[in-house]
Amino acid sequence: MVSNCKGFSSPEKQFPELVRRVTAHIPVIIQLREKHLNAKALYKLALTVKRHIHDKDSLLFINERFDIALASGADGVHFPEKSCPFGKALAVSPGMIAGKSTHSLKQALSAEADGAEYLIFGPVFETPLKKRYGPPMGLEKLDEICRHVSVPVYAIGGIVPRNSRQCIEHGAYGVAAMSVFHSSENLNRTLANFHAALEL
Amino acid sequence: MKIERTTLCCITSDSSCPVMQAEKALKGGATMIQLRRKSASGSELYEWSKSIQELCRAHNAIFIVNDRLDIALAANADGVHLGQEDLPADAAKKLLGKNKILGVSVSSVTEAEKAGRSGADYVGFGHIYPTASKQKSCRPVGPDSITEVVRALLLPVIAIGGITLDNVCEVINAGASGVAVISAVAEAPDPEKATSLLKQKMLSCLQ
Repeated sequence: MVSNCKGFSSPEKQFPELVRRVTAHIPVIIQLREKHLNAKALYKLALTVKRHIHDKDSLLFINERFDIALASGADGVHFPEKSCPFGKALAVSPGMIAGKSTHSLKQALSAEADGAEYLIFGPVFETPLKKRYGPPMGLEKLDEICRHVSVPVYAIGGIVPRNSRQCIEHGAYGVAAMSVFHSSENLNRTLANFHAALEL
Repeated sequence: MKIERTTLCCITSDSSCPVMQAEKALKGGATMIQLRRKSASGSELYEWSKSIQELCRAHNAIFIVNDRLDIALAANADGVHLGQEDLPADAAKKLLGKNKILGVSVSSVTEAEKAGRSGADYVGFGHIYPTASKQKSCRPVGPDSITEVVRALLLPVIAIGGITLDNVCEVINAGASGVAVISAVAEAPDPEKATSLLKQKMLSCLQ
């Protein structure tokens, strides 16, 4: 579950509440990705979110800022493109699980070689949020990536319960999504559908 | 590394390549460089940090990264400088360790004392005079308030905000351990010369 607090009128309350509701139904990795927040606000949000995680199988990841991940006691850090070099960051963030966003086979292989413990690959399907990464790369490309790397690959981009099963069938370990959690009209049904599709 | 009396800290401005800015400031006699660019990506900040750190080592100067403790750690900078809206100082100090420098921006005695308790190695106090480098909502604190902060703290106080050749002696005589400048160097027609003049003036007013 990738965060998008910009859509909330009082994010510091609404996002942790969403975390509580989601983690009560399914285990998730919560990825805090809030570029507009200053470090103090992000740190405080991370501490609050951590307290709202309902189950012990869910994990909290912070985008890029491994200092904030370490300080807030998060489980890991997710590195986007154009972040501080992966290997250099890993060397000074002991105990952190680290993953990376990738958009091609070449990037995926190099991220795995650098020590990424999981990859997020996409966009697999059409998504309005990630237009800048170009057209969706589709399930065949996902399949190819998953065959070439041995770390878990999470599919991202236009993920909904009904297409997440296809991602798993094409080699993905899991799926990553933002919009489907934040704009669901019936969150409980969405989560139940994910539960069924991913056989959680 | 220690914060010396007459520290001259040059903070990079957004107007040109920060490595070039650092190089000119160091040639002019800057003893501390602070890399500050809010809009830059992590990879850019890391690359600039490696280059500036190398330059600082060659000039026996201190290299500090603004806000991004992650970059400071990854690039093995000498320290990090945090504002009031950045990671809390006590949390940062734990990650940074004893041997690295933690600077904290403060604008009152209360904030300065809190920074001291949180493990700051120096405070950046200001803004002393009106400044156009950053949008400020509050009024300048004035040079007399430097003395108050210096008396209240056992830490070096580096004055910032609108400091120029004309008022730098007032700041040093008020007890500041040094000054930090952005535009006075970065926006000068000859940044190396501007740094050098500022440095000479600082040294002369202590004699």
